[in-house]
Amino acid sequence: MREEFYNTLSSPVWWGVLVLAALLPLVLSSYYLHIVILSLVYVALASSWNIVGGMAGQISLAHSLFIGIGAMLSSALLLKLGINMWLGLLISAAISGALGAIIAWIDFRFRLGHLSFVLITLAFAEMGGIIVEGWDFLGGASGLMLPRDTGNYLAFQFGGGHGAYWVMLALAAICVLINVAILNAPLGYYLRTIRDNEKAAQAIGVNILRYKIAAMVISAALASVVGTAYVRYMTFADPYLLISPVITIEIVLFATVGGLGRAYGPALGALLLVPLGEILRGKLGSTLPGLHYFIYGVVVIAVILLTPRGLLSYFELTWSHWRRR
Amino acid sequence: MSEFLQAIAQGVLIGSTYGLLALGMGLLYGVSGVVNFSHGDFISLGMFLCLALYSALSLDPYVSVFITVPVMMVLGTLVFRFLIRPMIGHQFLMIVQLTLGLSLVLQNGILMVFGGQPARTPSVVESKLMILGEVVLRVPHVIAFGVSFALAIGLFIMLRSTDFGRSIRAVHQNAHAAALMGVDVGRVQVLTFALGIGILAIAAALLLPGTPIQPTQGLRYTIITLLVVVLGGMTNFVGIMLGGLVIGISEAFGTIYLSNTLGALMPYVIFVLIMLFRPQGLTWSSSR
Repeated sequence: MREEFYNTLSSPVWWGVLVLAALLPLVLSSYYLHIVILSLVYVALASSWNIVGGMAGQISLAHSLFIGIGAMLSSALLLKLGINMWLGLLISAAISGALGAIIAWIDFRFRLGHLSFVLITLAFAEMGGIIVEGWDFLGGASGLMLPRDTGNYLAFQFGGGHGAYWVMLALAAICVLINVAILNAPLGYYLRTIRDNEKAAQAIGVNILRYKIAAMVISAALASVVGTAYVRYMTFADPYLLISPVITIEIVLFATVGGLGRAYGPALGALLLVPLGEILRGKLGSTLPGLHYFIYGVVVIAVILLTPRGLLSYFELTWSHWRRR
Repeated sequence: MSEFLQAIAQGVLIGSTYGLLALGMGLLYGVSGVVNFSHGDFISLGMFLCLALYSALSLDPYVSVFITVPVMMVLGTLVFRFLIRPMIGHQFLMIVQLTLGLSLVLQNGILMVFGGQPARTPSVVESKLMILGEVVLRVPHVIAFGVSFALAIGLFIMLRSTDFGRSIRAVHQNAHAAALMGVDVGRVQVLTFALGIGILAIAAALLLPGTPIQPTQGLRYTIITLLVVVLGGMTNFVGIMLGGLVIGISEAFGTIYLSNTLGALMPYVIFVLIMLFRPQGLTWSSSR
């Protein structure tokens, strides 16, 4: 099994790209650094969603719930109870994972169809948003302001800018690596079998409940961790940004544009679209607010209509055609 | 007691419009298996068209309907023909993602044209009240209730006893067989989508008076509509109207008796419970 994964781990290309990426902040201005950090946040989020949405083929719209727990709960624990954010990160990830397990169990127990699963996860996400906005402990509608980042690693502070970039790069790399690992492990094969034909999977003895829960727990916990790191970088925990369904929709669209169920697909989608969106927003945000979302929408519609398997597959096909000539 | 009556009345009035919103989605799902996640953004678009007509020609929303309905129906036809139709028969989830993309396009198109500030469209009946015993009703809600039910009954009759209605039901039951019987399935799907969007344009005008609108509201309407359609059992039109009432009443009770947060949570909790324990919807008999 894991040969492919070890090949990736020992591949000079992987480490070369990573080292080059790690050197980026030395040449980027702080504006572009911010854009790259945001892109990495979405690479990590889209890759974490891919485990459930791409490999297992279940469009879960509950991702904002896990991101929100990671961001809002860890901030609230720090500000209201003085709990160290590292511990808050673990607590939030554990709670997100548990919630993910519950959602996966509900899905299995009640044999929800695809549409029902989409709707139930959306309902959970909406409920999460309403609870956060209505509960002062989690910041209510006004959000939470974290203390200034002084670069104290023990307090989950990385000194903003460069530090935040390296943390995000590491997180994004870990999320992509976990994708590679799962795709080449039995879990990945089981998940794809479940995606392609759940009844057949069950008939040949795949333990559907176990693997659905595993996928959801990994995905949820990862999203929660990224949420914590993201909020530390942003300093301000904004419920309208972090626990709104919009962030989930963005993630789903990035993953779809890049290529669902592929290890590098969601990362590609996020790396292409986030910088495009952010630069557009920077240039035209004041005259045409919403233009970047408008373009995301147009791009995803075009990709689905023209190359429904995503840009990664499209590039691969073009590349192999070009090479054969 | 008066509080209780007030909650029931308010819930029924709003719920009937929710039911109407959901009928359009249920019809479309019935004939093409498409779940339109940009439904709420089309409602939004209908509302903002009314706003534009008010600011340009100071038309009352109830008058603007005669302009917005045809405009929206043409737009709906184009969207269906060029975006959704090519995807029918592909994976269900791709259509979900496509309409999510469409939702972003609509929502932010509106944002770019109208800006993000909450806006209101005045109407002559906006602040009029109707008092029945201990219950105070807002006239726009009463109008919405009347029109919604009239339209629902009209739709029902149309489905029952016109050729177009019969072809819709035929495609819904078995598209392949319907095609063999000479029904133009593609045409029925397009017309149903246009019809659904036309209904939305009317519902948008009904919901508009007294409601502040903003471009980001679309998703909320989509979710409410989805809840209602699922409660109603997807394609059972009586069930869908009933589902609208359930969601409307649970929302009204929640906000009157419980705190705002719990009130807002109510419809979702009820939805999840019904989804789990009665996944076939509220009504017992199937529409087929």
